[in-house]
Amino acid sequence: MRLNRSVREGLTDLLLAGPATAVMVLLIFLPVGIVAVLSFTDYQFGAASFRWVGWDNYRAILADPFGRRALVNTLTYAAITIPASISLGLLVAIGLHGLTRHQPRLAAVLRAVYFLPVAATLVAMAVAWQMILHPTLGLVNQALGAAGLEGPSWLSDRALVIWTLAAIGIWQSVGYNMVLFLAGLAAIPPHLYDAAAVDGADRPWDRFWTVTWPMLGPVTLFVTVVTATSAFRVFETVATLTQGGPAFASDVLVYAIYREGFVYFKAGHASALTMVFFALVLLFTALKFRVLETQVHYR
Amino acid sequence: MKQSLNATVAAALVGLAATAAHAETAIRVHYGIPTIWAATQEALAEAFMAENPDITVVIDGPAESYEEGVQRLLREAVAGTLPDVAFVGLNLWRVLEARGLAQPLDPLMGDKAAFMAEGFGPAVRLGTFNDTTYALGVSASTLMIYANPTLVAQAGGSMDAFPETWDGLIELAAKIDALGPTIDGIWLQRHDWRFQSLLGSYGGRPMTPDESDITFDDAAGLAAAALFHRFSQEAGMKTYGTNEARQAFPAGTLGIMLESSSLLTRFLQGAGNKFEIALKRIPINADPASVYFPTGGSGLVMLTTDPTQQAAAWRYMRFVTSPEGAKIIVETTGYAPTNAVVVADEAYLADFYAANPAVRPAHEQIADFAGPWYAYPGAEGVAVTDLIAAALVDISDGGAEPDATVKALAETLRTRLGMR
Repeated sequence: MRLNRSVREGLTDLLLAGPATAVMVLLIFLPVGIVAVLSFTDYQFGAASFRWVGWDNYRAILADPFGRRALVNTLTYAAITIPASISLGLLVAIGLHGLTRHQPRLAAVLRAVYFLPVAATLVAMAVAWQMILHPTLGLVNQALGAAGLEGPSWLSDRALVIWTLAAIGIWQSVGYNMVLFLAGLAAIPPHLYDAAAVDGADRPWDRFWTVTWPMLGPVTLFVTVVTATSAFRVFETVATLTQGGPAFASDVLVYAIYREGFVYFKAGHASALTMVFFALVLLFTALKFRVLETQVHYR
Repeated sequence: MKQSLNATVAAALVGLAATAAHAETAIRVHYGIPTIWAATQEALAEAFMAENPDITVVIDGPAESYEEGVQRLLREAVAGTLPDVAFVGLNLWRVLEARGLAQPLDPLMGDKAAFMAEGFGPAVRLGTFNDTTYALGVSASTLMIYANPTLVAQAGGSMDAFPETWDGLIELAAKIDALGPTIDGIWLQRHDWRFQSLLGSYGGRPMTPDESDITFDDAAGLAAAALFHRFSQEAGMKTYGTNEARQAFPAGTLGIMLESSSLLTRFLQGAGNKFEIALKRIPINADPASVYFPTGGSGLVMLTTDPTQQAAAWRYMRFVTSPEGAKIIVETTGYAPTNAVVVADEAYLADFYAANPAVRPAHEQIADFAGPWYAYPGAEGVAVTDLIAAALVDISDGGAEPDATVKALAETLRTRLGMR
């Protein structure tokens, strides 16, 4: 028996996309659904029963000064990390791209060095950072001490801690962004620069502004989305280095979710926080695609 | 409207139901913190099985910390795969009790007064709430003063004339702090248990016995909070995190550290030959009859509801808290024992004390003043301990006024815990 063409194509589509879709529904959409349901209950982790509490959990998040603190800290962290790690990633990529022509070997070594933080486990790296930033024993403050200065408590000063964590976040993501930008730079056809030169754009800045930057549009969009989502999801460094402290000064959304759910055992409250976080990231991603898509040049 | 969770979860977890095959006389034991407990657990199980060949002890893979251990037990409770017995943090067994998972032990003790008189008294007191015992304490630690004698001498003090009052201690700490930019005088974590310890040294209590009201906003509580203020203002206490301080002290850059006695073994290893670590008792500022120190450490809870398993589990719990079990625990972990016979009868631990003289003051303080680590009741019980820590940070380096901060904190706790 031969099926007609459209049925066969439909079956092929189903065969190709079906398993992945089923797994996604089972492992992502279903749990999100359960979390959404739990967010309207007072369920305590491990308890035998729960009660429907309507929007109480959401109201509690807005009323709680520490809930707002976690939100503000997350936004601050993202506002520092996103622009810094994208622009540094681009700078390093342009530098290495230029260096490849004169010193290919050195460029390869530097590329590996910049990429190391991405390949390393962030938790292990966090422990190394803790030693380097130790207020008395750490390399940084020992060096400052030798110069006669008393270094700050990088990870336990309430005004400083979110900046320190952001710096570690930038250090960790620059290498990844660099690799993506390098791929983007390598894909720019050289004849475009020749054409630009014919039109009078032959100074470095003109070349960058009229050819490189527009041609990097799709890569930049991708890098921005990836960097932003990972900035909003910051967790490992906070959990290993500060546990949200001192006095909630480095509390961020994902850590607050973990704390409410697995330290305080308030699963209902944690679920509501998760839904807020989910909505924020979704909103931000949609916004970025809206704004940036219109300005990106595809070939 | 109450929903049956079991039905909901059963529907959601179809296919995940684990099959826990129980042999007639096998008991499953859960524990946490393998870096401290792994060798101890094996020694305990081995010694128990040698005496009780009819029971096999099966040890679950350990949890990294007590918190993680309780999370795992709660998950196992939902999946129906709870172990029979669990070692849990002394501040966490109430979480299991509140969810009806920790079984009351009184029926198994028979005559409770006689049982306590046999030497099990301290173990029972550490695990009792509202006259019912849910846990047996197996290892104990209280807040102690760790001192670096080298730095103390450099600052013009001596360990023989070590200050026995807070005023003297703060003065000494300030002198040590002045020794250099990378030398610190004193450090104490801004934390619920530490606050309760200082509160107890002034004879205060965090709550009324029936847990219906907060009482740490009395004179004792204000005095305890003021110490956090004075440590930072007068003795230059830094805003270290716990890990940072626990690195600084054995490295020899911190003069005085107020920490749990359970860290002694680790600090001795860390300091090596750099300096001799000295352990001193916390100054007492009230009638000794009213003084107590909240006890950290771990306790044993029974989670099985099957009578046969309970009987076997109880024999194991009794063994672990007996003089013989306590001796194994003290010798392998350095924790203080919870069995009164071991404390009273020198024969059990004479060799251990001869080899570890520094630990003696810690065990004496526990024998004199060990009390419960108060856990705040209800769903917000754990969450409010972070509010206490945040208030102590405000007091010590935010420059907040101690009295007003503690009073406001007490009001916040009353609201959050539903005490009105």
